[in-house]
Amino acid sequence: MRMTLGQRVLLTWLFILLFLIMLVLKLDEKAPWSWFLIFIPVWIFDTILLVMIIVKMARRCKSGFDPRNGSLNLKKKAWYLTAILLKLAFCLALCAKLEQFAVMKLTYVFIPLWALLIGGMIELGYNIFCGRRD
Amino acid sequence: MLFSLREAVQWLGLAPFELLLQGLALLAASALVALKADGGEASAGLSWWGALGPLFAADGLCTYFTAIVSVRLFQDGEKRLAVLRLFWVLTLLSLKFVFEMLLCQKLGQEPKPGREQLWYGLIMAPVFILLQLLMIRACRIF
Repeated sequence: MRMTLGQRVLLTWLFILLFLIMLVLKLDEKAPWSWFLIFIPVWIFDTILLVMIIVKMARRCKSGFDPRNGSLNLKKKAWYLTAILLKLAFCLALCAKLEQFAVMKLTYVFIPLWALLIGGMIELGYNIFCGRRD
Repeated sequence: MLFSLREAVQWLGLAPFELLLQGLALLAASALVALKADGGEASAGLSWWGALGPLFAADGLCTYFTAIVSVRLFQDGEKRLAVLRLFWVLTLLSLKFVFEMLLCQKLGQEPKPGREQLWYGLIMAPVFILLQLLMIRACRIF
């Protein structure tokens, strides 16, 4: 099953909107919920992305797969998987910090985000300066 | 991941180089925010305006870049495209700028009795407007 571009745009937009609404309610002290509950749209969105990538990777590993049919290579998918896990780690660390479950410096919370951003910038820079668009 | 670079560029209306600039600015701003939060005395002189400075710098650079692209498009006879691109990117950047400015004002504000506090619903208003514009653009393009 492959989602169309419109469906992907709608999915992304809807989850961002939901998250922002819940974030504003929490910050303005209108919703006395835990930060982990506020991040529910993020957890759901990341789970969907994780499942999609794992299914695509598993499909590649199945016998009879033709590597010439234009799909991205396994290395790139492994990077996408790592990126989502880094984003999840950042969100979990941030929630733990905000809920004061763990006493840690903000620098440690930001480490997964920095790794994700550096990786993303390298990939984007490679796409820009080497002329690839995928 | 969910979108290819081509699709993301088409939806957001920003060039890949502008996306790279914004990403680098976010990286620098997050490092400065962490420094401000954890730095203790070392970061005493760093205000919120300074910590979020890279984001303002990226907005300025993107505006400059967009102006150049629009002038070149105009010279090449693509007048409609030049005006549309300039209008869209400036709207996007100005909403982002207003959000960052209000956020800096809120974070730097000291709570004083009798003084009106900025509420986050108001600070996030430009972001909500931006989201609506992005949805309208998505409906037009895809």
